[in-house]
Amino acid sequence: MPKNTFALPPRVDISEQDVMQAMSTIQGYIDITPGDFREVYRAACSLAVKRLLTSLKAADLMTGTVHLVETEMPLVAAAALLAEKGISGAPVVDGDGKIVGVVSEKDFLREMGFVTTPSFMQIATHCLNDKSCMICRLRNKVVGDIMSRPPVTGSPEMTIGEISQLFQSREINRLPIVAADGRPVGIVTRTDLAHSFHRFAEGMEP
Amino acid sequence: MTYLQKMKGGGQSPPKVGLTEILWSWVGSFAGIAGVALIHYKILDQSGLMLILGSFGASAVLIYGAVRSPLAQPRNLLGGHILSAIVGVTACQWLGGTPWLAAAVAVSLSIALMHLTGTLHPPGGATALIAVIGGDSVHSLGYFYVVMPVALGAVVMLLVAVLVNNIPATRKYPEFWL
Repeated sequence: MPKNTFALPPRVDISEQDVMQAMSTIQGYIDITPGDFREVYRAACSLAVKRLLTSLKAADLMTGTVHLVETEMPLVAAAALLAEKGISGAPVVDGDGKIVGVVSEKDFLREMGFVTTPSFMQIATHCLNDKSCMICRLRNKVVGDIMSRPPVTGSPEMTIGEISQLFQSREINRLPIVAADGRPVGIVTRTDLAHSFHRFAEGMEP
Repeated sequence: MTYLQKMKGGGQSPPKVGLTEILWSWVGSFAGIAGVALIHYKILDQSGLMLILGSFGASAVLIYGAVRSPLAQPRNLLGGHILSAIVGVTACQWLGGTPWLAAAVAVSLSIALMHLTGTLHPPGGATALIAVIGGDSVHSLGYFYVVMPVALGAVVMLLVAVLVNNIPATRKYPEFWL
C-alpha cells in the first residue's frame, strides 16, 4: 500500500467504513478496495480544499469604499466618523495617503485603561462607579497616538484561506487591502468573510 | 511500511453484490460463452482452437461479472486480446524452439504492451500464452490466430455484453468505448 501523501483535516476525512457503506449503495461489483478508494478520495479532496481556499481573493471579498482617518485627526473627530459610518475601525493614512496603522475600538479601550476588550455593560459599570469616566483621557489625543502599528495588511491577490488564517493568528477583525504603492484600496472585515461562505456553495444543487 | 509489513495486507474486500447482480452476471456469461462456444463447436470444430475458450471464460468474469471495471471495457476487451494475440504469435515464431522462454516472453510482453496502450485486460495473458502452448493447430494458424479465433470471439463476447448488460435498470455497459 503506497504511503499516503495527502493528509486531510478530520472534518472532511472518511473512514474505510464510510467507503464500504457508500459502495453498498451502488449496484454492481466495484473493482477497487475501500482502502484504495479512500486514498483516491483523500488526494482528490485535498485538491478540492486547496482550490476552495484559493478560489476567492481579497479583491472579490473586500468592501471597495474604505473610510480612512489621518494620523493627525483628533480622537474625538475619529470617533465621530466611526460612529457616523457605523464601523468599529478604520485604516490610518499619512499625508501621502499611505497606510501607517489601523485604529479600532480596541485601541480606544486600551487607551482608556482596559487590558482586555470589555463588554458595554462592563464599561457602564466602570463609569457609573467611578466619578471620572476614563473616556476623558482620550480628549486631547490624535489618532496617531493610539493606533495599532505597523498595520497588518493584505494585497488584492491574497486568497480567502490566507486571509482567514491571518484573522486568526493576528487576532484582528479587519484587514486593509493595499495596493503596491501602500494606498488602501479596500478592506476585508470578519463580516465580509462570513458573507463569503455562501459563495462556496454557488452552483450546487439545493 | 517495511517489506514484510506490506505482506500482511490489512485492507478489506469491497462489499459483496446483491442477488440481481448475481443473476445478471449469470445471464450475461451464459449467453456470451454460449455464443463463442457454439461458433467453435458447430462452425470451427478444430480441437486446437477450443483452447481459446479458456481465455474467453476469464473475459466473461469481467465483462458480465464486473461491468463497471475499467478492465472490462471494450477498449480493454478488444485491445487486450488482439495485442496479446499478436505478441503471443510473434513470441512463438521467434522463440518457439525454447517453449518455456517463448511462454514467459509472450505473457510478460503482452502485459507490458497492454499497460503501455491502456488496454489492460487480464485474459489477454491467457490469449498470449495459448498462442505458445496451444499446439500445432494453433501454431499452424500463424497470425490468422489474431483474427480467428481471438478477434472474432472477443467481438461476439462484446456484442452479447452490450445487449445483455443494458437490460437491467441497475446496469450500464460500457462505461466508455475507447
